[in-house]
Amino acid sequence: MERAYRRLDPKRVVFTALLLAVCLSIPRLTDSYMLRVFNIAWITCLCVLSNYVLLGMCGQNSFAQAGLWGVGAYITANVVMKLGWPPLLALLLAGLGTGLLAFVLGFAFFRLRHYYFTFASVGLMTILNGLFMNWTPFTGGALGISNVPSFSLGSFVVNTEEANYFFIFLIFVIAYLLIKKLYHSPLGRSFMAIRDNEMAANCLGINSLLTKSIAFGITGILCGVAGALYAFLAGYLSYQTFTYQQSTMYLIMVMLGGTSAPSGAVIGTMIISLLQEWVRPLQNYMQFFYGLGIVLLMIVQPEGILGGGRSLYEKWHSRKRPASTVAK
Amino acid sequence: MKNGTVAKDRPVLSLSKVSKRFGGVVAANEVTFDLYAGEVFGLIGPNGAGKTTLINLITGVTPADEGEITLQGRNITQLPTHTRAKLGIVRTFQHPRILDRCDVYTNLAVGADLAGRRRVSSRNGREDRLEQLLDLAGLTEINLNDSIDKLSYGQQKLLEVVRAMLSQPLVLLLDEPAAGLNRAEMDHVVKLIKLATQENIAVLLIEHAMDLVMNNCHRVTVLNFGQQIATGTPEEVQSDPEVIRAYLGGAAHAAR
Repeated sequence: MERAYRRLDPKRVVFTALLLAVCLSIPRLTDSYMLRVFNIAWITCLCVLSNYVLLGMCGQNSFAQAGLWGVGAYITANVVMKLGWPPLLALLLAGLGTGLLAFVLGFAFFRLRHYYFTFASVGLMTILNGLFMNWTPFTGGALGISNVPSFSLGSFVVNTEEANYFFIFLIFVIAYLLIKKLYHSPLGRSFMAIRDNEMAANCLGINSLLTKSIAFGITGILCGVAGALYAFLAGYLSYQTFTYQQSTMYLIMVMLGGTSAPSGAVIGTMIISLLQEWVRPLQNYMQFFYGLGIVLLMIVQPEGILGGGRSLYEKWHSRKRPASTVAK
Repeated sequence: MKNGTVAKDRPVLSLSKVSKRFGGVVAANEVTFDLYAGEVFGLIGPNGAGKTTLINLITGVTPADEGEITLQGRNITQLPTHTRAKLGIVRTFQHPRILDRCDVYTNLAVGADLAGRRRVSSRNGREDRLEQLLDLAGLTEINLNDSIDKLSYGQQKLLEVVRAMLSQPLVLLLDEPAAGLNRAEMDHVVKLIKLATQENIAVLLIEHAMDLVMNNCHRVTVLNFGQQIATGTPEEVQSDPEVIRAYLGGAAHAAR
């Protein structure tokens, strides 16, 4: 069964092209400090996109994303520095390794019903952070790992902030397009079926345990790749980066942006990442503002910015074209 | 109304002495029947007789205490729900279980996806298949991009039958498909059931609308407190004194 009506909307094409042009000209428009902020933001986008897949599509809430992000980063550092393997291989291994870890853990955790998976993910986050701090041979312990080399492919080295920007942005765009594709695939639909009605999903031949584990596995892949990019960019890994607070931040970002489409994850991430920079003088109060902001958001606009934008758009359109025809 | 030819050689689905108790309540007591391809088998009885429980037992939503359920000769009693669906047992629900945050298209596509998982996508491959089903269901006017909550209750119930048909099942279990529907929508249910029999699907129909059952079922079984009190053609069952006493009362005569 094919979606017969999917056409290229010219307005959409123009909008996408403009957005792409803006994104690609950011290195020209900002200094290297702000460029670092953007680089971290795009990496964060990958982790928040994983929240879109797991929470937005599959309806499962996890607090372990920052831990998986760390796993990816430490795998990368070890593969490149201890084994001396090429960075591209390290990037792939970070994605696949973290994905496999998440899939296997998901298979265990999703035997728990309802919100107990979320509890388990909190436990996982705590354990992972403890491992990062104490498993010295793999993570460098409290000292961390310094001097992780930059990404390189043959003689092409990604060692400037600007080169990193294009490299990270490229990976982000690939991930984003794949998630768009996932949304229109049978697997994506089985995620959404589980989110909306698990019993109906089972009766349509969808194996809940396996499907949820795959969703968590995809979360692992995205966070693992993000971890690898972070390791290449920052060059220094500390357990203090991959914390429970960071996971909470990912969740706040996806809640702010909205969970109904992957663009929500990007909007939320960008707003919070840039806000953090612009209101630096108020940093001591940021936690307070986040908390207050989220409470207000859930009351006023539970579907996030994306949901708010959509309902505004619909309102405007129905005013333009009254009495739109609904079935019968 | 009924399609005359039913292949009686080998049943698609067999229940043999299937029992289920919830505490002291017997929801199914040694229920036994065979379902044949292209047959509409009616399951009637008063509220609380155990009809929906029986569908839950067949789909594996509720595990059976005793007895054996076989699909095409294969014992499926211990299999999980999703495996049974993949083998071709598909159901609808008394209250439609739609994907309420998805659009109409996604709600239908999950049915076609099951056909894909079952590797039987021959019919869905035809371009007019979805059109044919939506036409029979009276849903041609709906926009596939609309969110599902724009559909009325009756349309959602019909959509659930279409979704089940898109999965190209061997056995279709319909749990009160006409409840809460208006006359025109009921006719669409009948059209879909007829298509199912033409496509050799075995249909189990739970329904309180007696004329729908009597006019469309080849055979009927009557359940009361989990007990089968009669099985036979609609005519035989209607004239069974115990059935009249336990369930039909005046309804059978009103339906004639």
